[in-house]
Amino acid sequence: MNKTVRITENLSIDLERESWTCHACGHDLGPARSNYKEGCVVAEIPLSEAHPPLVHGQSYSFTPDPDFCRLIEFYCPSCGTIIENEYLPPGHPITHDIELDVDALKRKHGGRP
Amino acid sequence: MTIIPHLAKYARDTEIVHRLRPEPPTAREQDAQAQLGDLDFEIFQHKMQMIALEGKETTMKLGASTAMRWGDVAFGIYTAQGDLAVCATGIYHHAVLSQLPVKYLIKHLRDDPSVGVENGDSFFYNDPYYGGVHNADMGLCVPVRIDGELVCFIGAAVHTGEAGGSEPGGMVNGARSRFDEGMLIPPIKVGSNYVLREDLLGMLATMTRDPRTMILDLKARLAAARIAERRVRDYIEEMGAAFFVGALRKVLSITGQAARRKVAALNDGIYRQPRFLDTTGPETQLLKLNLAVEKRGERITLVFEGSSPLLPDRPVNSYFQGILGLSMVYFCGWYFHDLPANNGLLEAIDWRFDDNSFVNAQGDVPVSYAPATQVAFNQGMFMAGARMTYATDPSRAVGAWYTGFAVTVFAGVNQWGDPMADITPEINATGAGGRPGRDGVDCAGAFFATMSDCGDVEATESERPFLYLFRNYFDNSYGHGKYRGGSGVGFGLKVHGVPQVAMGSMGFGSHFPATLGIFGGRAAPPAFVQTVRDSNMDQLLAEADTGLPTRMDELYRQDGEEKEQGNRRFGNLATPPQLYSQGDTYYVMVTGGAGYGDPLQRDPDAVLTDLRNGMVSEQAARDVYAVVWDRRSLRLDTAATQATRAEMRRARLARARPYREFLRHWQEQRPPAAILRYYGPYPQPQEKGARDGAA
Repeated sequence: MNKTVRITENLSIDLERESWTCHACGHDLGPARSNYKEGCVVAEIPLSEAHPPLVHGQSYSFTPDPDFCRLIEFYCPSCGTIIENEYLPPGHPITHDIELDVDALKRKHGGRP
Repeated sequence: MTIIPHLAKYARDTEIVHRLRPEPPTAREQDAQAQLGDLDFEIFQHKMQMIALEGKETTMKLGASTAMRWGDVAFGIYTAQGDLAVCATGIYHHAVLSQLPVKYLIKHLRDDPSVGVENGDSFFYNDPYYGGVHNADMGLCVPVRIDGELVCFIGAAVHTGEAGGSEPGGMVNGARSRFDEGMLIPPIKVGSNYVLREDLLGMLATMTRDPRTMILDLKARLAAARIAERRVRDYIEEMGAAFFVGALRKVLSITGQAARRKVAALNDGIYRQPRFLDTTGPETQLLKLNLAVEKRGERITLVFEGSSPLLPDRPVNSYFQGILGLSMVYFCGWYFHDLPANNGLLEAIDWRFDDNSFVNAQGDVPVSYAPATQVAFNQGMFMAGARMTYATDPSRAVGAWYTGFAVTVFAGVNQWGDPMADITPEINATGAGGRPGRDGVDCAGAFFATMSDCGDVEATESERPFLYLFRNYFDNSYGHGKYRGGSGVGFGLKVHGVPQVAMGSMGFGSHFPATLGIFGGRAAPPAFVQTVRDSNMDQLLAEADTGLPTRMDELYRQDGEEKEQGNRRFGNLATPPQLYSQGDTYYVMVTGGAGYGDPLQRDPDAVLTDLRNGMVSEQAARDVYAVVWDRRSLRLDTAATQATRAEMRRARLARARPYREFLRHWQEQRPPAAILRYYGPYPQPQEKGARDGAA
């Protein structure tokens, strides 16, 4: 069985340990059957920092409206790489965006569920 | 309400719109299919594709509307049962949607003695209930009978852009019901014996603000269909009707089989991407479109449960069939890019919708802004698709292209005295999303109309009452990332050569960005409209002032007083048309693609190349990409860049909190009630959808 399979630009899964890992540094990000975001450290980025306003004193400025939208970044706790981000309304639940059938994945790569 | 039985036949047909997949093959189709030789079938596919491509090109050459001339065309050959087997298009939603009106006419009109379907007939339609998107998309088809047997239909679906209604341009911001949206025509016979009926043309022309365009576009579709009909008849004379019927059906069969095989290669799992819209059309409000993509074995199920409820009197509702049609933009253009674009692809796709949902419109609700809702879904499809495909084929895992639309709608009388109502073509110049190993293409096109072009400004100026002040790249239009999104286009127009013209904008994403990044890439910034009424632009141009802005970034440079004086306003992308006068100016950015990956992983040399080319601002190079360079020589300081990036990573970790700790504060927040009027209960609008959160 292949031990590690790449899942996204920033994520792999260690099939033997059934865990998410950071592709950049190999850090363990928690159980592959759970949301990898739970193994990340998380920050809300001020919108004016991420998308600076080019117009001042107006409703429209190139900066998203914080009533509607916030930016959250999920980092590898070891190397600080952004694993993923989410633009969400304030307080909206974090998305479990990749919920793999780990047993099927292990079968595909020559292992047993 | 009691429906009088003999009138029920005139209600919308709720059965036909569920027949999106290919019809079961007839005995004739099955027998004929079994007789096909592989080589002859291969030649058939190429010939039919060439006939369809010629049809598409002919339609474009003869048409008058902006969209038709610049390629917003789907041209194809349908089976006798109405399935679109062969289609030449980059506007892939029509590859599965344009069959529904054909199936309607087969069901209701073919055997009706007052109508019938004979050689020489032509049928027109634009009711979005059957076309799936909105009533600016209009279609025409012609039947082909050989020795009495109906063997196929040939037709074109094209956005004409003006469909009557209470606002011009085919997208009615203020529509309160479908009856505000203008023409809603189920398939009707507009010609027989190879002649169009002048009384019906007169009626159609009278129902729109731009009769010339309406009629020229209709005739363009028909002329192209007649040329294709001649080609098909020649081919059938050579190969026989049985071969043709069998081969047309076989295209659908093998497409479905191939689609299921491709789906089987993907990892099983659920891939989620909630999408948020910031407009109902007339109001700035928050809506949720809850997308989950469930992949099991050979099938993908698109799940929309948990989306915001139906809006009784706002135009961002979409018919479910339109949503599924738009899914084909992703599937045909990206994941199934090597398969024929036809509804056989839906053999690999299932779907689930709530009954009370703004993505499953019912009754008389308006749907004029459905394209906004549909592309919002589709960008979610790109994002969920990237997560679904990266493991098995990273080349398919691309960031979303822009579209919050940012379409400029206009109407009035042009400089030649002709009535007009249409949209400007810059929607076909958006940026593509970043992708594995490469930046997104600058001004790549429209992701939902990949064969379309935005045309020359001179062509637009020659018949529209505008003078372009500039139209080119905009360095604040795309999402940053390891691979940045492609730049979009910024442009400025001046009303020119007429006393007044109505102008407005259709789109979303002025508050909540429309185009979000993937794998840590940033969103393209929100877009909006700037207008200057009572502008002194005419005077500045007369004085040949060389200090006027020539790019969108110059318009927003914070280094002094604007030379252009007047009544300056900043407005939402969703704004109904208003009157503007000669000399007034109108500026809008049609934005770029999503960022892909962590911006700190971007090659610093690529950042400096962008800086030299005016494709990234100094602020972003410094603050987002953490690149250090010599300001005079623009040479990279490698050591300082590495140190700055390392420091920025440390700063990230210092600011961040463990997931559970972060949630405690995060979950206490919520949007103001004033923007949740149409959302449904926050945060989960419907019970079934309460599965998207890990929190």
